[in-house]
Amino acid sequence: MILPDRSRSVFPWLLLAPFLILVALFTITPLFGAAVLSTQQTFGPGTTRFVGLSNFKNVLADPLFWTAFKNTLIFTLGSVLVQLPLALMFAMLLNQPGVRARSFFRLVLFSPVLVGVVYVAMIFFVLFQKRTGLVNQLLHGIFPSWDIGFAWLDQYIMVALILATLWQYMGFNMVYFLAALQNVPKELDEAARIDGASWWKRFRHVTLPAITPVGSFVVLLSIIGSVQVFELPYLLLQGSTGVDNKGLTIVGYLYQTGFQSGDLGYASAIGWTIAIVLAACAVLQRMLSGRTEQQRGVKRATRGGDA
Amino acid sequence: MSMLVSKPRAIATYCVVVPACIVIALPLVWLAIASLKTSEDFFASPFLPRGDGFLGIAWDRLTLDNFRNLFSKTGFARALLASSLLASVTATLATLISAAAGYALARLHFRGKRAAMWLVLACLIVPAPLLLSPGFAVLYRLNLLDTFLGLILPAIGPAFGVYLFRQATISSVPSELLEAARMDGCSEFRIFWRVALPLLQPMIAAFMLITFLGVWNNFINPQVVLQSASKFPLAVMIAQLKDVYSQDYGLMMAGTMLSILPVAGLFMLLQRDFVAGLTSGAVKG
Amino acid sequence: MAVVTGLIAMVTPETKREGASMWTFARMHAEMYGPELEAWNQQQTDPSRRVNLSLIGVQAMEQRMMSAFLAGLPSADLIEAERRNAARAFAGPLESVGFLDLTPYIERDGLMNKVNKASFLPWSKDGRIFGLPHDVHPMMMAYRADIVEAAGIDVNEIETWDDFERVMRLLLYKPDGTRRTDRYLLNMWETQIDLIEAVLLQAGGGVIDASGVPVIDSEVNARTISRIAMWTSGPEPIAAEVSFWDATGHQLMRDGFVIATFAPDWMCNYWRKEVPQLAGKMKLMPMPAWEKGGRRTSVWGGTMLGIPKTAQDPEKLWEIAKHLYLSRELAHELYTKSDIVTPVREFWSDDIYDQPDPFFMGQPKGRMYINLAPDVPDRFSSPFGAIALARTQGAVSQLCAYARDVKPQREEDLLPKAREFLAAAQRDAMRHVNRNVFFAARDSSEQSSDAAAEVTR
Repeated sequence: MILPDRSRSVFPWLLLAPFLILVALFTITPLFGAAVLSTQQTFGPGTTRFVGLSNFKNVLADPLFWTAFKNTLIFTLGSVLVQLPLALMFAMLLNQPGVRARSFFRLVLFSPVLVGVVYVAMIFFVLFQKRTGLVNQLLHGIFPSWDIGFAWLDQYIMVALILATLWQYMGFNMVYFLAALQNVPKELDEAARIDGASWWKRFRHVTLPAITPVGSFVVLLSIIGSVQVFELPYLLLQGSTGVDNKGLTIVGYLYQTGFQSGDLGYASAIGWTIAIVLAACAVLQRMLSGRTEQQRGVKRATRGGDA
Repeated sequence: MSMLVSKPRAIATYCVVVPACIVIALPLVWLAIASLKTSEDFFASPFLPRGDGFLGIAWDRLTLDNFRNLFSKTGFARALLASSLLASVTATLATLISAAAGYALARLHFRGKRAAMWLVLACLIVPAPLLLSPGFAVLYRLNLLDTFLGLILPAIGPAFGVYLFRQATISSVPSELLEAARMDGCSEFRIFWRVALPLLQPMIAAFMLITFLGVWNNFINPQVVLQSASKFPLAVMIAQLKDVYSQDYGLMMAGTMLSILPVAGLFMLLQRDFVAGLTSGAVKG
Repeated sequence: MAVVTGLIAMVTPETKREGASMWTFARMHAEMYGPELEAWNQQQTDPSRRVNLSLIGVQAMEQRMMSAFLAGLPSADLIEAERRNAARAFAGPLESVGFLDLTPYIERDGLMNKVNKASFLPWSKDGRIFGLPHDVHPMMMAYRADIVEAAGIDVNEIETWDDFERVMRLLLYKPDGTRRTDRYLLNMWETQIDLIEAVLLQAGGGVIDASGVPVIDSEVNARTISRIAMWTSGPEPIAAEVSFWDATGHQLMRDGFVIATFAPDWMCNYWRKEVPQLAGKMKLMPMPAWEKGGRRTSVWGGTMLGIPKTAQDPEKLWEIAKHLYLSRELAHELYTKSDIVTPVREFWSDDIYDQPDPFFMGQPKGRMYINLAPDVPDRFSSPFGAIALARTQGAVSQLCAYARDVKPQREEDLLPKAREFLAAAQRDAMRHVNRNVFFAARDSSEQSSDAAAEVTR
């Protein structure tokens, strides 16, 4: 017996209801609030003044915003371009059949993901100290010319952030790539090998197309995460934005103007610019993964009731 | 199949992977040792304190005092309880709500589904920081500031979870099975609960773990929402140690160590499901 | 849902205690006020007059304080805040400051004349006072008397920075005339913004004027940062970095890597606890002045006690605040336990400050600080303070890099670049002033500087 139509059309909404209510309350309402705020200058509940779009105009003309933008871009590029290729490399190394203790290696490489950002900051704050920090001590021990007073947390804070994030998330992305590699058609790879195709050729024409759907998803996740980097520099720099604002990120600047200087309107305008950047990245990703799937002749229908 | 790697290649692989594992594990090993050192020994040697004990190490200078101080001075136990409660409640509810919504979007047919799906995708790219200040105002109006509920409610309707469960449903809950169950006269709820959910088990484990981890490690939200020190979860409490006990590195490292251990243990338990689930959400791009 | 809420209610026993709540950020303060408040609480028959103290990290406090102020929500009843994070609360127009305006209370109780004037300024905005000052924090130079005296140097010859460089210079060289690599004269470096600010203030400059507007590009600032760049990055550097807060820095202090270090009163206590090996090796002297007869001190740090507007019964809280900050008993305890001299001027003549301090080879340390206390420079709170300081530090870094590049012979060679870098910093900072409608709307800065001058008077 099939249920009457009416209850079948109500049931999906029942399943969706908790999610929709929560989203309405805690995402859409604040989003609307953020839109209103971004047209205001405000300091606390008593003082609010409508300023139209001048917050946005000021954000774009604000050298500190562009400093933050540049730092965030460096961090994002550093994270994506260093971390993801390494993650893919380790995934491919561990994906070779016959490598012993694979799950042990996977576990070790993955384990830092379990360490929360507060704790990562705790550990690396001490490890990155000049002279007393383990990082400088080891580097100095291995390369005697290494300056033991290398200022990781001052001049080179972005490098320190990229390294700490690499430590924390490389294994996580590796696991994604390991899964993606299961999509590589083994027969095709084997055939190419027998035909004498070079490693690069096989990687380029067999492996890469097979992992692109997951790969672009991982890239998108990495970009979304990196663009929003804030807690790690906030904690490592103990609430400051670092020497000469070298540790200032976009979200850090949002936090500074909103929660430290009290101008929630300006902060919201900064937030909207981040949202626009991220939306552009997401659209790009969907276009990219859509294109490669079409290239591979994958029918869009197999992707479920996709929009 | 002749897929086994050749000897030299295997050796080359180990030559890359083993040092990488050592580098990755080093900070954690250092942490474990640092939490056992006294303040005097802390910077004297990078790892174990040197002395005349076995292997030239002063084993007798290692101490559990940092851990004792942690419990006696800082209210660590209370924070541990707060974190456990927040993380387990949030993880359970977030998983249930996401699974329900994700399943509906993947396998049920109804008017407005496209719009709902767009909503999920749109929520995915809303940067959390944009909502920080107006979200604070919402919690204020709902009278939820300084309550655990104020932390739990906004976290249990995650668009990311809905998206993952939708992907997982598409890849691991075949439509034919659901149709067959419908033919057998199962109610829609029963189909969801008895047929779909068991098939989604790896994703459930993975997502619960992700959420648990996320809440356990969340710092900025509890810092903004909670006011009274008696409610602070671990992440907030540990972050504060650096301000308040700025010279006591051993104490900070002991706190860090003990905060990581519970989630590490949980992960070991659910490891297999976790990896399987994590990937089932991503496979279809 | 019921299960969940039930669970929560179960594990969080009602911890709300009767009475007022107070936040402090400093462990030392908590340890000091703890017993004091215990005694206070015991005296109170009315439980609502009791005070519950909690110790909260600086960042966490700033976060919670600002969240509450921005939402108009209750926070604690008494907040002891550090200068940097208290300044956050003064960002908007007067009516949006989350702290209660204490000016009427202060005037009523005649505190304006009792308390050191400059100590009120960091907690003032447009002539209104929002916090009770905890300290004066005059700054001196601490130097390695053992090394200096062994070299036959008499620090009484030093009145100005020129004297300092001239008299001390011989310590930089080995007997054979070559430059030592393990010795510098001054603990100062380009990224230490607190010290840079202190030195600018001492020279009569600073980054914020009485009306709260950035004044980064003044001539005196340009001259001062040129000198700083010569010290740290000139061809013959006399200054080097010895970090204050970690074991490496402490080791370098013990090694005599730097001869002299800037020392506000609270720093004495920090060394006493963290680097006890320095006891009996150090002495204090007033800072060298920028010109003959010039100011020989500066200021670093500061704490206030404020009452949030949302607090109930401010009269009662004001009474507690006065007890904690203005009683003779606690002023003495503040000095014996944390080496900090009180801002209450009538206690300055107390004998306790004349006691010799063995850590500083028997010098009457308290008296020395108090003698300098009236000269502590004015400094002003501003929503643009953090931005102005950060940009100034950036300019100093740029100038130091330039100095390392061109190897200038005299500090005058750096002046044109110093002016240029500071002017750029000023432009950036002013951008923030100009986009602030509340600030830009005020008629002119004169009006408010008059008001600020009122406080000084």
